[in-house]
Amino acid sequence: MKRLAGAFMLLPGAAFACALPPSVILTLPTGHYITGAAITVAITAVMGAVADRLPRMNAVEVMERRILLPVSVSSYLSFLCFCGLVLIGVFGARDPMHNLMTLVFWTGVWIVVPIGSVLFGNLWRSINPWTAPVRIMRTLLGRTGTAGLSRFGHWPAVALYAGFAWFQIVSLSPDDPYELAVLAMAYWLVIFVLAVAEGEEWLGQGEFLTVFMGYLAKVAPFWLELSGNRARLMRGWPGTQILAMPPLSVSAMAFITLALAALTFDGLAETFWWQGLIGENPLEPTGRSAVMLVNTFGLIGVWAMTISTIWAVVRAGQIISGKRFAPGPVMLSFLAIAAGYHAAHYFVTLLTVGQYTLAALNDPLFRGDEVLGLPPFYVSFGFLTDSRIMPLIYGVQFAAILGAHILAVLLALRLVGTDTRAAAHLPMTALMVGYTVLGLWLLSTARSG
Amino acid sequence: MTKEVFGLSPSRRAVLKGAGAGLLAAGFVAPVWAQSAPIKLGFQLHRTGIGAAYGRWYERTAQAALKVINDGGGINGRPVEILFEDDGTDPKRGAEVVEKLVSQAGCDLVFGPLFSHVVIGTAPRAAELKVPYLVCSEGYHVASGMLNRWTMQPGITDVRAQVSSMAPWVLANLGKKVTMVFPDYAFGHDHRDFFTAAVEAGGGQVIAQVAIPPTETSFTRYMPQIPADTEVLYHVMVGPAVLTFVKELGEFYGSGARPEIFGFIDSLEAVDTASPGLEFLEGTHFWEGHNRVKQADASDHETAYRAAVGVDDNGASISDAKDVSTYAHMFSVWETLHVIKAGMEASGYQSTADRQKFVEAVEAMTDMPASLAHVQGDKRFNGKTHQVFGHQFISKVEGGKLIRAHTTSLEDGMYPDAVDYTTQSF
Repeated sequence: MKRLAGAFMLLPGAAFACALPPSVILTLPTGHYITGAAITVAITAVMGAVADRLPRMNAVEVMERRILLPVSVSSYLSFLCFCGLVLIGVFGARDPMHNLMTLVFWTGVWIVVPIGSVLFGNLWRSINPWTAPVRIMRTLLGRTGTAGLSRFGHWPAVALYAGFAWFQIVSLSPDDPYELAVLAMAYWLVIFVLAVAEGEEWLGQGEFLTVFMGYLAKVAPFWLELSGNRARLMRGWPGTQILAMPPLSVSAMAFITLALAALTFDGLAETFWWQGLIGENPLEPTGRSAVMLVNTFGLIGVWAMTISTIWAVVRAGQIISGKRFAPGPVMLSFLAIAAGYHAAHYFVTLLTVGQYTLAALNDPLFRGDEVLGLPPFYVSFGFLTDSRIMPLIYGVQFAAILGAHILAVLLALRLVGTDTRAAAHLPMTALMVGYTVLGLWLLSTARSG
Repeated sequence: MTKEVFGLSPSRRAVLKGAGAGLLAAGFVAPVWAQSAPIKLGFQLHRTGIGAAYGRWYERTAQAALKVINDGGGINGRPVEILFEDDGTDPKRGAEVVEKLVSQAGCDLVFGPLFSHVVIGTAPRAAELKVPYLVCSEGYHVASGMLNRWTMQPGITDVRAQVSSMAPWVLANLGKKVTMVFPDYAFGHDHRDFFTAAVEAGGGQVIAQVAIPPTETSFTRYMPQIPADTEVLYHVMVGPAVLTFVKELGEFYGSGARPEIFGFIDSLEAVDTASPGLEFLEGTHFWEGHNRVKQADASDHETAYRAAVGVDDNGASISDAKDVSTYAHMFSVWETLHVIKAGMEASGYQSTADRQKFVEAVEAMTDMPASLAHVQGDKRFNGKTHQVFGHQFISKVEGGKLIRAHTTSLEDGMYPDAVDYTTQSF
């Protein structure tokens, strides 16, 4: 025993075991799936370009009716809910999984509303918490003019989204209810003041959530067109609305590249590959505090790579075709990728943290209430290691990524125009295939989170 | 805010009805609180970050223990509150969390963290604030002397004792020539060093040590490093690739002869051992800190504990048979909270001015008999090293279930003191 004691004298503290659940996905032949998806995207592009026959994408009116709940009302209600959430964030439980500020923002606003918008049109328009307050304040002030903010295009939204992406992916405690509430309130105030000065329309190019949700909703197969007090419900193939959009400005293109880069880096930062690259042990990473600087550079680096890759591809397409087609329209096709990847990337978070949100909405004061009529329940993560359910979840993600890229390819062909030489589509096709592989790899590789 | 998390589901109510009589009786008698302020306990919770899977069950266990303690009259006749604060499994945030819980929320003490790097990063701040800091991390850092007078581990045996106490039984029953497969970082190194030393002390031999880089997700090329004359294969692989490891190990040995296999349940904590893909583990042995499958001789306390936390006879959530708990570790939260109660009552704790008295009261503890407060079994606390010693279990996978094959004695895990914290000033 003495010999043993001697051997232990200099040993440091033991490290606790890793807490990551074993991954069922890692045991699946995901390499084959990814290859299959890449080939499918490539074949779609080649057939589309060569055959010169693309599916028609027409908007069809489903019905027309009076607007039942004016945006002024729904937005104001949303604003009141927002104020309530801020109060809960500041004064409520410190545990983020028991605080509606954290739960509603990160699962509701950041996952449910975007996915809902991709499927059912722009849900954010109704619940935008600035629209009604800005309208009311401008009316009270008798203000009708602008302050000239519009000349900055989408750049304010780009800057704000960049800050948000950093807060979400890199900063120390984005889930902390108090910090989130204070930041959200400060952000709301800044945007409120600017929008009162400029007019509520500015939200659509200056406020990043409004811009982001609006873009995602352009992929939706259903959407509302509003005029006066009438609303027309439209339908069409996903992407139909994108074809009708005016070309994107440089600042709007910057926004879309940022959206793609932020989603990519959010996935990348947790992979074993990235952890190995930055010298962290993926089985026991130190925590966010140790990697804030390197992840800040990582986020910026991925954005720079996204911009330069897309620029190079568009430029190569122009050179091959001999046409100087504007990059703006083609950039619209990346909206589909952003939408598909957002849905796939956050799907599991929705299924896990979403349960806490449901429980908290059902019992906001944690005293056994059943506001939503649900019996009290335990949050349950058993499916994460279920070898029957996880392949289904990966299947949903796979379908979202593959569908998004096929759509992106078709949109790119339509937007560039099929009168171009088929070879001119090659660079973009290669990029789409690359993005398909990257997206599916991010969802199937070993991750430390 | 700190009441029952999501209340009781109907099925849980049913389970509770069948729970231990003591617990039930306590539940029927609603405590009548005097006009006294609650005792506020801070819980440093790994709610997000790498420790989140453990954090979820640690919180659930803490809530269950809190209910039992409050139903039984609280501490010193005062109701008890737990304030949960997320540390993101990050050492820097850990220190901030302790600061917030103590300075802003006015907590009497802080407990609950498990990840070693977070504990090591947080403990100095607790000492600066002169606040009792009770960790549930099973790390050897407490007993090694690297922490301080305010940091204690009274709820779970440390990894040095766990690993060392396995050697005698493994050598006597499975074989004397051992090959170890472990991830190549501190966690794996502790197993390598502690177990190798214990094997050599017991007359066995570690014939190969296969260190696997933490970033590795396929292991086929490491398998040939396992010598053919290996009698016992000791594995502690962890992380997302564990299923892959087991699958590839099974492919390596095929249907032919294989050595005896011994692992730490850390590899499959919170995973159903009857999952498809884990068939190869049938007949192999695991260390367990607490038997996740309810054993035939389970005590009434054990039964009451399962019911209170909402865990079924297989160690899974009563609401989802697939949601296996972190059963081998989470009892530490339950027992730590009961040690807090015992320590506060022994010291006559009234306010934060009595924090030092509380630490001294815990240091004075020795034998802890098996009871509703110590559901994992009886223990012995070493006040000098601030570390508790309990029984460890070796279980065999039979029909996909972990059935206990051996219980270590308290002495099996004991080692000479490396520190005497009681000689340090507060």
